[in-house]
Amino acid sequence: MTQKSSFLTKVGQTVAVLLVTALFVSLGLWQLQRAADLKESLQVATAIDTNIVPLESITSPRQAIPPSALNRTVSITGKYIANFKAANQKDGNEDIQDWESALLQVGDRSAILVVRGLWSERLLNSDIEQSMDIQVEGLLVASQDGDRARNAPGEISRLDSAVVTSLTDLDLFDGYVVATSEVTRDQLLERTRVVPEKLKSRISGFYWQHLSYVVIWWLMAAVVVFLPFYRRRVST
Amino acid sequence: MSGALKRFRVMAIIAGVMSLLLWFVDLPVVYLFNNEDWKSMVAWIPFVHGWIYAAYVLTALQFATKARWSLKKTVWLILAGTLPIASFAAERRVVRQYS
Repeated sequence: MTQKSSFLTKVGQTVAVLLVTALFVSLGLWQLQRAADLKESLQVATAIDTNIVPLESITSPRQAIPPSALNRTVSITGKYIANFKAANQKDGNEDIQDWESALLQVGDRSAILVVRGLWSERLLNSDIEQSMDIQVEGLLVASQDGDRARNAPGEISRLDSAVVTSLTDLDLFDGYVVATSEVTRDQLLERTRVVPEKLKSRISGFYWQHLSYVVIWWLMAAVVVFLPFYRRRVST
Repeated sequence: MSGALKRFRVMAIIAGVMSLLLWFVDLPVVYLFNNEDWKSMVAWIPFVHGWIYAAYVLTALQFATKARWSLKKTVWLILAGTLPIASFAAERRVVRQYS
């Protein structure tokens, strides 16, 4: 091997080592950012703001629910236009039951899914007509990711506006409301309300898990830097 | 050399078992079934696999360096830890060649 090609090989190896090291360090930084994002989103998810705000003041239809709107207690006035069974729903006490959910039309052009209570109590307020204005208060939570049941007529697989888009022309809000009270014609509707499931971050994994991946990536970066010296030591 | 070989063999077998668990237990549970309880039961697998694989890479690098393997062969040895069965095959091949 000539002196020139040997020099070029060394330069190539150095560049390759630097590139791979930079890649591993970047992956470690990415995991560090994921850990920070996860921590922040968990703080948002567990914070409870008891002030009641109108739904439309914190979120809009046809857009992703802002993190600041999650877990807020909202008030909405509208009328129910469709009812659905949301089967196999787990509440905050880990009990799995079928829930009654309904699409609440808000104004002329928009609607949101509302969890009214237990499916077994759906006939308690049978005098409610779909044209009646109703004031709902409840907790605004993020749409569910995974199906709990199959989609069927009158039944939705998960609490997510995406599964009812084909059933209405209205603009749908992201997320859904777990009703804590319903009032119509100044009359409070009495029924068992469901306890919302404890909110989870939308970033998967655990905080410590992301931090451990930071350690792995940076360990790999250190190995890549150390390896050429180790090879030289072994060969001599 | 024999110490590096032994370390590599142990880690190749453990990484192989973890790859099997990852591909045939964790991934089907996460992507094919809709059971949150099952998902939480297998959540440890990718995490442990990540650490085991990092240890496998270290032992593979040490062995390949001591055996004076080429870069290409070393890379194949490292990649063998990512696929089920492949690390077992790599371990058998190494044993045949160096034991």
